[in-house]
Amino acid sequence: MTEVDSRGSGRSAALEATRRENARLFLIFRDTDASDAERDTARDSLVHLHLPLVEHCARRFRNRGEPYEDLVQVGTIGLIKAVDRFDTDRGVEFSTYATPTIIGEIKRYFRDKGWAIRVPRRLQELRMQISAATAELTQSLGRSPLPREIAESIGCTVEEIVEGLESSNAYATLSLDATDDSDGDSGGGQSMLDAIGIDDVALEHVEIRESVRPLLESLPPREKKILLLRFFKNMTQSQIAAEIGVSQMHVSRLLTRTLEQLRTSLEHDV
Amino acid sequence: MITSGVGARSDVELRLPADGAYAAVLRTLTAGLAARLDFTMDDIEDLRIAVSETTAMVLDQADPGADLLCRFRLSPGELTLECSTTAAAPAHPDYDSFGWQVLTTLTTDASVDVAPGGYAVRITLRTSLDLSDDVTGVGL
Repeated sequence: MTEVDSRGSGRSAALEATRRENARLFLIFRDTDASDAERDTARDSLVHLHLPLVEHCARRFRNRGEPYEDLVQVGTIGLIKAVDRFDTDRGVEFSTYATPTIIGEIKRYFRDKGWAIRVPRRLQELRMQISAATAELTQSLGRSPLPREIAESIGCTVEEIVEGLESSNAYATLSLDATDDSDGDSGGGQSMLDAIGIDDVALEHVEIRESVRPLLESLPPREKKILLLRFFKNMTQSQIAAEIGVSQMHVSRLLTRTLEQLRTSLEHDV
Repeated sequence: MITSGVGARSDVELRLPADGAYAAVLRTLTAGLAARLDFTMDDIEDLRIAVSETTAMVLDQADPGADLLCRFRLSPGELTLECSTTAAAPAHPDYDSFGWQVLTTLTTDASVDVAPGGYAVRITLRTSLDLSDDVTGVGL
């Protein structure tokens, strides 16, 4: 959005425009004489007007394992709450009022919905503190911090840190079907299930057998018998010739033709 | 804090049912002990994975209803864990398996002891922290 991207006077002018538009819409929204439809429209417009603020807040939580679009969604709920609760007489900017509400909503989403396995809130908050302190201390110490150092920084005991570590495993569980998209969104990512299981070798035969079955059923009795003798009884063409009373050459021709028929019908089916 | 007792050599023993449900207990205990031996958070993360692999190997061989005996030997900056169980017919470890690759990568030292009637995996991990740093001794 322009008020975020542009610089200098253009920026402040855009901000001023947003501010004016905001004030105008809130007047309608709070106007008890206005019709419900008018107020609803004003409320919608207010939400739309401030969506860039939500996007700005949501961007701060990117790369934390939740899709950006989801964060914008929950952030927008925060924005709607802020629009409904904002008191224009208080003399603060709407963005000042709305930002904590939006961020609070996103944080609550991480705390409540982000967890794959329910963990007591005390531990959830502890885990967030631990990861924040770990990042900070790694930066300042130039190495991975000791649990004792984290405990001192947060103001809790080493035991609690250890407890928090165990709970952090519950934050993200991995689906066996989740694909490894580390090499971009090529779509050809391997899932965990691909890696730990193999396809039954006979599996593709099932499909072929099932497709061939109706074709075999529709063969004339003599052709069916030749196939049976050749491939199931493993007889030679000469033996088959003797069995059904035709020449070996004829058996050969019939076999070739029947197989060719089966093959083309199979391909047509697919 | 127990840290005061770690100066010399300390041993900790834990006996658990040889059942995957108790793996978390062993993991947390190990992390708790390592936290006192100046293991860094990264070391502890490695250790937790190593303990999981170790228990997986040992549980695989354990007789039904057997116990898992876990012996820790603790010294400053170093932890050795031996997980053993009773196994009527222990199989020789597959040193090409993924689990073993993980284990040898994460640990300073890893070994398997296969004996008639028993199976044990021993792992040793050292802290990546330079113990000559003045950080040790603070608060001990």
